[in-house]
Amino acid sequence: MAKLDIPNAADDELVRSAQKGNMAPYEELVHRHRDKIYARAFSMLRNEEEALDVSQEAWVKGWQRLKQFQHNSSFTTWMTRICINLCLDFLRKRQRQQTDSLDQMEEETGGVERRMEAEDYNPTEEMERSELRKEIDAAMEKLSYEHRTVLVLHEFERMEYKEIAKSMQCSIGTVMSRLFYARRRLAKILISLKKERQS
Amino acid sequence: MKQEDRLKIQAWLDGELAPQESARIADLIDNDLEAKELADDLRAIQKALEVGEKQTVLEDSREFYWSQVERQIEAEEPITENTQPELVSGSLGNALRWLIPVGSLAAISALMLNFDSINTTPDLPKTGGSKIENPQTNPINSPSGLAEGAGTVMEEESPATPEVGVFSFEGTQNGGNFASPEDPNTLPESIENPER
Repeated sequence: MAKLDIPNAADDELVRSAQKGNMAPYEELVHRHRDKIYARAFSMLRNEEEALDVSQEAWVKGWQRLKQFQHNSSFTTWMTRICINLCLDFLRKRQRQQTDSLDQMEEETGGVERRMEAEDYNPTEEMERSELRKEIDAAMEKLSYEHRTVLVLHEFERMEYKEIAKSMQCSIGTVMSRLFYARRRLAKILISLKKERQS
Repeated sequence: MKQEDRLKIQAWLDGELAPQESARIADLIDNDLEAKELADDLRAIQKALEVGEKQTVLEDSREFYWSQVERQIEAEEPITENTQPELVSGSLGNALRWLIPVGSLAAISALMLNFDSINTTPDLPKTGGSKIENPQTNPINSPSGLAEGAGTVMEEESPATPEVGVFSFEGTQNGGNFASPEDPNTLPESIENPER
């Protein structure tokens, strides 16, 4: 059997080799995808140190469970889901130690946005993509973790409502509600950032 | 406009609405100004988010990052699934788990019946005998069914035992439990079948 050319091998080949217990191919996989996994952790946790720890934990879990990976999805999708689960776990623990966020209370009582008039927001009219990304990132930072998470999972991970509901351990109705308020709030923040920029 | 309709407009835009409901919502957006404005707003946000996320890059070197992951892997590696040695094989162990108490009970019953038959005291045979025989003649009333003998007990218990095994096996194989990140055992399996 030919020796695996690790730097040039496809992810799938590396995974199959790593599944046999070889660590070198796994190290290559970590190197290839560590930024993506870290970025996902950071987008959810908004803290560099915590994101670093969780991303590393995800790689450890990935190794421990690698034999159960059946190649039904891409390796990065699989790893990202592990990372998301760890982030949600982490956030839940953190949330338990805090009082309910204002966003959550607003959701339950009706919230400001329910009464808010629809605002015309057209973000892409004159902004560069990278500039818009930065602005969205800044706006995401201001969201509660529930709103940020639901947006990340739906908009960036392309997860369906029912998948999000499972991940976040809530009903589909709650997902719909959170997503709605998250979008409204994000729009509001983006408008205020735009105004700040223009003034 | 009702909040329910607002959420349905959003679901319609996300492609999550059932076909029969979709027609109604599409009609609502066409004919109701508020609904149309809301749909436009939500579309604008969707469009904004389409540009994706800000790129975040790790500052640690490849070697340093991997060394930390590797250290954690090695630290957790010694954990094995079976920490206690099994004295007997699984099926035999299960059988013995029931056979031993059932056998003991049967032996005690036999001894007591024997004792009953050889007892010379006139009162004892009636009262003592009925107390022991009751569970055998009326197994439904027996709290555990143990008095029925090993064969019956195994028949009753054997379907239940594999069910437990099947349940836990399915829990990890199908892993629908993506929703339970606290349990790391369910993590990867749930990811195996992403629905999208």
